[in-house]
Amino acid sequence: MSAEARPVGGRILTPFFYVLALLAGIMATLVLYRIFAGVGSITALTDGYSWGIWKPINVVTFTGIGAGAYAVGLLCYILNQGKFHPLVRPAVLVGALGYTLGGTSVIVDLGRWWGSVFLGFPPWYNLNSILLEVALCVITYMAVLWVEVLPAGLERMQSSHSPRWKGFADRWLPRVRRMLPFIIALAMLLPTMHQSSLGGLYMMAPTKEHPLWFTGWLPFLFLTSCLTMGYGSVVAMDVLLGVVFRGKYRTHMKLLGDLAKVCGWVTLFYVAFRFAALGFEGKLGEAFQLTGPVPYFWLEIVLFLVSGLMYLSPAVRRNRGRLFLAGFVGVLAGAAYRVDTYLTAYDPGPGWHYFPSLGEIFVTLGLAALGVAVFIVVVKTLPILALGTGHDAPFDPGRPTR
Amino acid sequence: MTVSRRTVLKTLAATGAAGAAVGVAGRAEASHAAATLAPDAMGLLYDSTLCIGCQTCTVACQRANGMPVDKSLVTINGAPFDFPSDTNGYNKTVIKLFDSGERHAFMKMQCMQCVDPACTKACMLGSLHKVENGIVAWDPVRCTGCRYCQISCPFNVPKFQWHEAIPRIVKCELCRARVDGGKGSACAEVCPRGAVIAGKTVDLLATAKKRIAENPGRYYGEKDETGKVVPKIYGEHDGGGTQTLYLAPAGVSFQDLGLPKLTHEPPAQMAMTVQHGVYKGFIAPVILYVAAAVAIVRNLRKDAAEAHREEGKHS
Repeated sequence: MSAEARPVGGRILTPFFYVLALLAGIMATLVLYRIFAGVGSITALTDGYSWGIWKPINVVTFTGIGAGAYAVGLLCYILNQGKFHPLVRPAVLVGALGYTLGGTSVIVDLGRWWGSVFLGFPPWYNLNSILLEVALCVITYMAVLWVEVLPAGLERMQSSHSPRWKGFADRWLPRVRRMLPFIIALAMLLPTMHQSSLGGLYMMAPTKEHPLWFTGWLPFLFLTSCLTMGYGSVVAMDVLLGVVFRGKYRTHMKLLGDLAKVCGWVTLFYVAFRFAALGFEGKLGEAFQLTGPVPYFWLEIVLFLVSGLMYLSPAVRRNRGRLFLAGFVGVLAGAAYRVDTYLTAYDPGPGWHYFPSLGEIFVTLGLAALGVAVFIVVVKTLPILALGTGHDAPFDPGRPTR
Repeated sequence: MTVSRRTVLKTLAATGAAGAAVGVAGRAEASHAAATLAPDAMGLLYDSTLCIGCQTCTVACQRANGMPVDKSLVTINGAPFDFPSDTNGYNKTVIKLFDSGERHAFMKMQCMQCVDPACTKACMLGSLHKVENGIVAWDPVRCTGCRYCQISCPFNVPKFQWHEAIPRIVKCELCRARVDGGKGSACAEVCPRGAVIAGKTVDLLATAKKRIAENPGRYYGEKDETGKVVPKIYGEHDGGGTQTLYLAPAGVSFQDLGLPKLTHEPPAQMAMTVQHGVYKGFIAPVILYVAAAVAIVRNLRKDAAEAHREEGKHS
């Protein structure tokens, strides 16, 4: 029989959990202070560098990590590789958390955050705005991801002792399941749109963005790199879960090996495409003038190549530790590309400097800690992880488990 | 079971197809129509050769716009010094000095009132938008404080109040409230040397050309295709044209004065071409959604049928 998703159980208030809670608490305090004292009070942002690390890390990297839901979903649902199902639920949870944290970070970053309520008022939409597209897409996708998490909560309710909870779950679970294919289709469309547009945002700064990064292919490169980040995060996380919950959760080595092959080729494709686009635009020469941010370009390329080639090595795919490293480097590569596009390769002109403030760093750390903490609570209490011995068997969250 | 070469190829093909669609669509709509200068568009003409750097314009601007006290100002010997070094959340215009040792020139910074601005394209809810006379205005109600305008403006014009709980985006709006009341831009009104004048951009262009014709060798020029040095009016074509125009003294380039080198295309042109190409009529997303839904429903059904068969075998 197929391995079912089950709560991991166990104590929630571990010492590690307290550390996470402390970091989240520091973040909440900083945010509270910022509400009264302004964005500049806890950030090193200036009129030149008006977006700091919160954008490329909290939004673009967190959602890149969260793109595992999209990347694995594509394989599972569109290319009909049903065997990857056991990886979907945790990936969707990470996605829901990553996007929610990214969204939270945006609200904190918005100078006039209350004005964002008008994002629900279509007559005011400026259809030229790439950022508007990103904002609406991300908000919708956040909702979609939580709907995808819903069945796990309802399944947990079904095993509740309270007849009212159980009745509610019995009524709603089939309805949610019937809706799910159309929700999943949205979950495939929306990231295609906003992950590409997250790169498209910087097409608006032709004079500020370094030519190695500035290209009409920014949207496509961001879309491809969200796939490599998504696969990387799924691979790294599944290994990590097997270590953290040893004895309960077994890393899906075989599945990850298959995933690694796909990801390896996508990663190499990304690198090849990046050079092809540079060649096409006649900018390859720029890569060899090692001034300004150019060394960071090569750092990105090396990170992508290392993870890509590692994925494709059978020895790596057999070894849990090395596979984790490949996934981790893959996520790092995507993160580097994103941070560079948003900051390193962005130069507003002479006289402007930026280095993140402690406040910015602690908000980023606190948000990440909050995400990890919620993830731990959810997998311990809700049926997210495919536990048990049949860990490599197909598992379908879209079908009722009777 | 291992992943087949087909899956890998399919994944790559799918990504490639999406990319090709993006590329083709982007190029199909070869040029997203750029806006052109309206006959009633207004702006300023700043002639750096006339400016003496007195900064009267800065003070007049602050008064005319009822700007709050500039909290960001430096103090010299413990006393606040009332001359900002750059436009900021409390100053819409400042005079800067370019000094190379042998040559020096003054430079007035404020919004360029682009003919086809990037900021109004970037702005999510149209807070920054064009109003009468082509002036780029800021609407506080529609502003979320996202600061994407600051990223997109090649002149770094929009400024943000970083230390306010209720911050504003601050930029020159050509004193449009005063224009309504029959008065002109405050900076032009008070300038003792006529270094900055306000008016319709078509008239300002004519004035600039007249000054160039009457004072050969006085103004900065750039080589044209034939190699001849031709006096240049910054903003006539730069970045698709700006309603505020500049003249620089001979020997001092506009880049020396802090203005970016731009092509004749509006700065957002490429982004708009790609974006509007991909999202034309919202057709591509709809097709993508329908295709995804069909594939998912089909695949889930196939899975269910397979599972059914399996169960049948076991029982």
